[in-house]
Amino acid sequence: MKIDSSFLKHIAELSRIKLSKKELRKFTPQMRTILESVKVLKEVDTTNVEPMKKHVPFSDLREDTAGKSIEQEDVLSNVKHMENGMVKVYGEVFGGIEES
Amino acid sequence: MENSKYDIVVGLEIHIQTKTNSKMFCPCPTGYFQKEPNTHVCPVCLGLPGALPVPNKRAIELCILMGLATNCDIDHEIYFDRKHYFYPDLPKGYQISQYKRPICSDGYIKLSDTVVEIERIHQEEDVAKSTHHTEQDSNKAYSLIDYNKSGVPLIEIVTKPCIRSASQAKEYATRVRQIARYLNISDADMEKGQMRCEPNISIQEKGKWEYKNGVILPIGDYELNAKVEIKNIGSITAVEKSIEYEVERLIKELESGEKGIQQTRGWNADKGITEFQRSKETVDDYRYMQEPDIPVINISNEDIKRISQELVELPNERIHRYMNIYKLSRYDANVLSADRDVAIFFDNLVISIEDELKDLPSSAKLASNCITGTIFAWLNKKGITISKANLDISDLVQWNLVLNSKDITKNKAEELLKESLDNNKDLSDLLDNFKKQSSESASNLENIIKKVIVKNKKAVNDYKGGNKASIAFLVGQVMQITKGSADPNKTKSILIKELE
Repeated sequence: MKIDSSFLKHIAELSRIKLSKKELRKFTPQMRTILESVKVLKEVDTTNVEPMKKHVPFSDLREDTAGKSIEQEDVLSNVKHMENGMVKVYGEVFGGIEES
Repeated sequence: MENSKYDIVVGLEIHIQTKTNSKMFCPCPTGYFQKEPNTHVCPVCLGLPGALPVPNKRAIELCILMGLATNCDIDHEIYFDRKHYFYPDLPKGYQISQYKRPICSDGYIKLSDTVVEIERIHQEEDVAKSTHHTEQDSNKAYSLIDYNKSGVPLIEIVTKPCIRSASQAKEYATRVRQIARYLNISDADMEKGQMRCEPNISIQEKGKWEYKNGVILPIGDYELNAKVEIKNIGSITAVEKSIEYEVERLIKELESGEKGIQQTRGWNADKGITEFQRSKETVDDYRYMQEPDIPVINISNEDIKRISQELVELPNERIHRYMNIYKLSRYDANVLSADRDVAIFFDNLVISIEDELKDLPSSAKLASNCITGTIFAWLNKKGITISKANLDISDLVQWNLVLNSKDITKNKAEELLKESLDNNKDLSDLLDNFKKQSSESASNLENIIKKVIVKNKKAVNDYKGGNKASIAFLVGQVMQITKGSADPNKTKSILIKELE
């Protein structure tokens, strides 16, 4: 994968971050350095090594019993804008990326 | 909709909210419908830092049950993945879903004239509900978000691109909904958003493509046409209508020389059209990764066996039994098996009639006519379901037996049944009264007929003169005098005997 400014721009767009041309020029080599360092990990031979992941039996899962939620007041206590008990958000966050 | 030049290629994604008490990864209650916003949430479903998801056992059982009902393979290890995208309805910045290893895969559902292959059924969580508005004074766009729906268990059922018409898509969606309801996996009410259908549609030139291992491939240097995904479908009927509309639009576009682009369109039910939402030129980039907060869940054969005990006779099996053992038409079999409560009621009625009649197909035919006729009409009018109707099986058996004995005309029988249903009158009393009256009037019938013959000389002479049709007039006179209680066939034969 080529780490150039268009790659970085794509990553920034997915993360909803706007980067100027100047910033792209500044961060692209930094990103390259980060990925180069991480790449070292790839050199370890992991064939025949099981992923380190805990396994649990099905019976250990949570039983389907409804509990108590938190109060609406607390839910909204850190919210900047609200309307009729709902969180209100402004801006261009809706463009292009799809709903589930 | 058959087109001589193009084939229709459709794949369907169906999301179903499964029926649990608590959410997928936290104990918040799921019953959020019409509740005060943001009252069914906690740090987990709000995506607050440090909160840990704990999978709901029942939700996974229901996902497996759907897989078993649709002939899927069930994985013995369950992995969850994070699907990243930034949208305000998704508080964590990712949705917990399944990517490489869905719980259920490689299933199928048989339809009347085809088999729909199911690629996968996976477990995920629903997102929050957002509505979009514009501020009046500032003209600024904003959204309001209610997180009550965030984290409700959701299964996604994905077919291979093997559906070839809008009507097949409708039949498939109907069958999926029936299965979900039969097994109490979900109420699957599309208006409440408990079930959502998203078709992927493309049209391809006949003979220029092939379907191989679940994939559409071009033949030779043919370039496949782009596919369109449709959202905002609010009913099963809209599944069919939106596909019909979109196919027509795609053909028009292609015929005018335009090259269609891969895009998402929204169904506008009021206008009956699809509207452009966004293009999908870039491949979705969700940066999937394994969900590190949830361990791998081992499913044993015993677990699957235990879950499979919840399977009941499914719509297809019922249709098959009704056609082969009850000897009903496919149409009647479909109608009677569409709703499980109706089907169970129907089966009870058939067995009870057969106890008396000792003839299964005749009993089934009687029960079928009785339910799909007068009873359905009455349920519709009342707007209630059969389980709420409090119908008395033994009365209905009596009614069917009287009807079968030909002691009553079909019209009169239906009139009595309607009267009993509408006015909450005891059907067996009505039938007893009728029998009493009709035996009295039977002895009167001959007298009445004699009077009618004396009174209607012209019609009698017409008949004797060769105008056989005038017998109908005489029968009508008898029916009028008996207020419809006489059997017209019986009346006719007595009349003929008297006149000849």
